[in-house]
Amino acid sequence: MSYTFTILSPTDTPLFTHDFGTSRSGGDGIPRFTSTERSLIPFILHSALDIVEEVQWGPSTSAGSAPMYLKHIDKYQNNFISCWITGGNVRFLLLTRPRDEALGLTGGGGGSGQKGSLAGGRAGMAGSGLLYSPTNPATEEAVKNFFVDVYESWLKTIMNPFFNVGNGDVVKSPVFRARVAAAAKKYL
Amino acid sequence: MSTPNPNQPPTSGLRYPSNKKTIYDRNLNRSKNAELSRAAFAYLFVEMISYAQRNVRDISSLEKRLNTQGYPLGLRLLDLLLSRSSNPLASIRPTRIHTLIQWVAQTLWRHLFGRPADALERGTTDPSQYMLYDNDPMVNQYISLPKEMRGLNCAAFVAGIIEGVCDGAGFPTEGVTAHSVGEEEGKAGMWPGKTVFLIKFKGEVLEREEILGRGGG
Repeated sequence: MSYTFTILSPTDTPLFTHDFGTSRSGGDGIPRFTSTERSLIPFILHSALDIVEEVQWGPSTSAGSAPMYLKHIDKYQNNFISCWITGGNVRFLLLTRPRDEALGLTGGGGGSGQKGSLAGGRAGMAGSGLLYSPTNPATEEAVKNFFVDVYESWLKTIMNPFFNVGNGDVVKSPVFRARVAAAAKKYL
Repeated sequence: MSTPNPNQPPTSGLRYPSNKKTIYDRNLNRSKNAELSRAAFAYLFVEMISYAQRNVRDISSLEKRLNTQGYPLGLRLLDLLLSRSSNPLASIRPTRIHTLIQWVAQTLWRHLFGRPADALERGTTDPSQYMLYDNDPMVNQYISLPKEMRGLNCAAFVAGIIEGVCDGAGFPTEGVTAHSVGEEEGKAGMWPGKTVFLIKFKGEVLEREEILGRGGG
């Protein structure tokens, strides 16, 4: 599986981006996006922000607070997007691109025809437990753990008095990147 | 944009502290229960006020500068204190005005001053306005105003912190201001330093609040 992790400021400026692959089940941690996919990613992530704005305030029945972890919020073709929103309205978006096999796209002659089709993807997923599902509790938990780790590093970043919070300051620290990479390796 | 290889040791530009501990190696909760010397704070605050006073035209712009000094603190404290809530894994954030204001009056006040705020009211004439009372603001404890600056309230700094919290949480305000109300009520003596923080939310916040309260609830 390939992942892209992006931090977006409250004004939708990307502050940090990191691409990586899974380190689970023998993965080497290298992202395998095709060049088309890679060029689409910024658009997919930004379009997911509309969904974030819809769900971030929680249901009307909520007691006045909502979790930071919004779980899986959006899907575009074979890309699944999960979100964590900090108290300061900074959005962490994780885009997951499962391998074609994990989406049930490679088996049989109909596979290529189904590729990219939402309906085909859903139907395929329902079939077997081996297939990737963004709402699988284990997946949700892994993504959450990843976000929790990144959030801690993010907090440390914004505590820096020289970091201009909320003003579009980009995270340049290589230590921060290493922390994100470590969390990715540990949980995803 | 080129993505540096995360496995490569960081080289250019970054200066490491001599103990090799970057900010990422420090514990966020180390100072959770630590207390700061009040004298040290008073000393620092005096310097902050005299810094803000340089070339200042009038009292309102002096208060504006103090507000600006507090604002970034609010942005940071919001996330820091939310992360220190009882269960960090179930991190939650306020999504309604009431919760946010309560959070300011309780959590934020306790963190800053070691006690909750004294009273919290919603404006009767203007529903977008909230009043947060502090009977004896810690920041004003060692400040005695000269006659010609009677209108000044240095708690404008704290007002800036509140403004940062509200703005950061996605509840933009028209501004948060601090006003002395100790003597105006004719009951001088009990709390001469009593200060009210006026928090006026923007129309869009109330609009959203109304829609959220209505939808399906």
